[in-house]
Amino acid sequence: MSSEIVNPTPTRAVERTSAQVQPGSSILNKLPDIVAIAVLSVGALIMLLPFLWMFATSLRPIQESFRLPPAWFPTEFHFETYAAVFDSSVPLLAFASNSIKVTFFVTLGQLVTCSMAGYAFARLRFPFRNALFLLLLASLMVPGQVTIIPVFIIMRQLKLVDNHLSIILPFLTSAFGVFLLRQFFLTLPQDLIDAAKIDGAGPWTTFLRVAIPLAGPSLAALTIITFNNTWNNYFYPLIFLNTWEKMTLPLGITALRGYMASNSASVIMAAVTLAILPVLLVFLIGQRWFIAGITRTGIKG
Amino acid sequence: MAQRSIKQRGSTAWLSKESQREALAGYLFILPTFIGYTAFIIGPILAAIGFSLTSYDILSPPEFVGLENYTNLLTDPRLQKVYLNTIYFTVVAVSLNVGIGLLLAVLINRHMPSFLKYIFRTAYFFPVLVALSYCSIIWQYLYQKDTGIINYYLSYLNVDAIPWLSSPQYVMPSIILMDVWKNSGFAMLVFLAGLQNIPQDYFEAAELDGANRWQLFRYVTLPLISPTLFFNVIIYMIGALQVFDSIVVLTQGGPGDGSRSIVMYIYENAFQLFQMGYASAVAITLFIIIMLLTLVQFRVGQAWVHYE
Repeated sequence: MSSEIVNPTPTRAVERTSAQVQPGSSILNKLPDIVAIAVLSVGALIMLLPFLWMFATSLRPIQESFRLPPAWFPTEFHFETYAAVFDSSVPLLAFASNSIKVTFFVTLGQLVTCSMAGYAFARLRFPFRNALFLLLLASLMVPGQVTIIPVFIIMRQLKLVDNHLSIILPFLTSAFGVFLLRQFFLTLPQDLIDAAKIDGAGPWTTFLRVAIPLAGPSLAALTIITFNNTWNNYFYPLIFLNTWEKMTLPLGITALRGYMASNSASVIMAAVTLAILPVLLVFLIGQRWFIAGITRTGIKG
Repeated sequence: MAQRSIKQRGSTAWLSKESQREALAGYLFILPTFIGYTAFIIGPILAAIGFSLTSYDILSPPEFVGLENYTNLLTDPRLQKVYLNTIYFTVVAVSLNVGIGLLLAVLINRHMPSFLKYIFRTAYFFPVLVALSYCSIIWQYLYQKDTGIINYYLSYLNVDAIPWLSSPQYVMPSIILMDVWKNSGFAMLVFLAGLQNIPQDYFEAAELDGANRWQLFRYVTLPLISPTLFFNVIIYMIGALQVFDSIVVLTQGGPGDGSRSIVMYIYENAFQLFQMGYASAVAITLFIIIMLLTLVQFRVGQAWVHYE
């Protein structure tokens, strides 16, 4: 009330009159919002409970992994589960470094190839441009399982099975990434590109000096999406990698579960917690770009 | 617009040195992508079609058998089972993921403090980022019949221990439940962006005309987010037809073939039984189904999707 006296703007006056016409309507109007918040809060808790259980269990003594009632919040801090993860004969650090290596090269490769192709499809004129772009987009419909058998046979011929190249090479470019960056490069003002042309810049210079410096947010979106997909990939590593030393994290941790005694849930949860941590960090840092990337392709879809 | 630029181009000099240079640059720019595309998509698709006409165990050279693999498909009782499982999963999981995603987006889009919006958005979206294999490991423990916490809490409600993953009756719903928990956040995010793109005037105009909440949703919101709805259905459908990671980790396809998906069946035939020819034929059927469903969606979509 006091704020109304200090700052009696016309809109407030309107609000007040409508409130007077329908007494109590402000609470009634707000009620659906409150119900929505309550429903969403319960739902959000359900979303997070499995992770909370994972973390709390990872800190339980190994013998008590399964004791009920379950732990939701860590009461004791038994980091021996984390030590057990590293001490076990399963080379978790090797999994992690393999995952980092594969993710790094795939992400770097996609940034280069997708930004070049995306720029060409958006801004360079050449015969059959649209036909080639449609052909590329059509590949989004091709399930990876159709191509994997021939790809496996190729990799076997090249003696690349159980080599990280077998899960890097097929992912060095992506139709999704080309599409994402093309959508961005289409929004660049034509004047900017014309100005570079008048200054005598060729396509390469314009691309590197004008377009790429402006593409930061889109490149960040592609980086985060590709990082996540590669970091989490299970299907390709499952088929191509078969020795412990070469495995990536999702494959190695899934294998670890079969390898450990079945009563050591807390050790496995410790391993999963460690593997999820980088994803959480990357997401909290890059959420803005991640969401922008998804929604930009989604709305235009 | 487009016509004019074509005319300009045509009348000035399509064959001028500058245009040639630009076209050459264009091809060079897309070259790396098309090398990868040819080597890992186009080539393999053609090869898969070829392999599907052979009997091939990888060790000895492929032997041409004509359409035998395809005629065998028709009488393979396991194939029917895995296709039924996959279709069941796809229909239910896509409906629930998209439906719940839309519901969440509509709720989050209501009037509330922005920090709450941020927390909800993050909480619902986070599982999308975590590898499906990790989520499945966690949920496998939650689903345990005797030691799992879901049954533990249900026992307070006097519900007998449910064999979530070991009974043919519960196994598919259990896999779907986890999938919806993990994936509905993606639809939510896309819908939220769609909802925020609707100009507020539309609602105000409809309200002035006396529309109630349901009418607002049905006649204003829904048509305006139909492109997003369409996008979500297609993306989820393509993904669901390829369900693999979660089932491998949760049940390995069991009990029996109770939860085996079509991709697991391809994997088993190709990489465990080394029947590359038959596996390729199954994979081609999946490809054709995905392509047909996507094309049908696009055709049907023309009727109900409103682009501005």
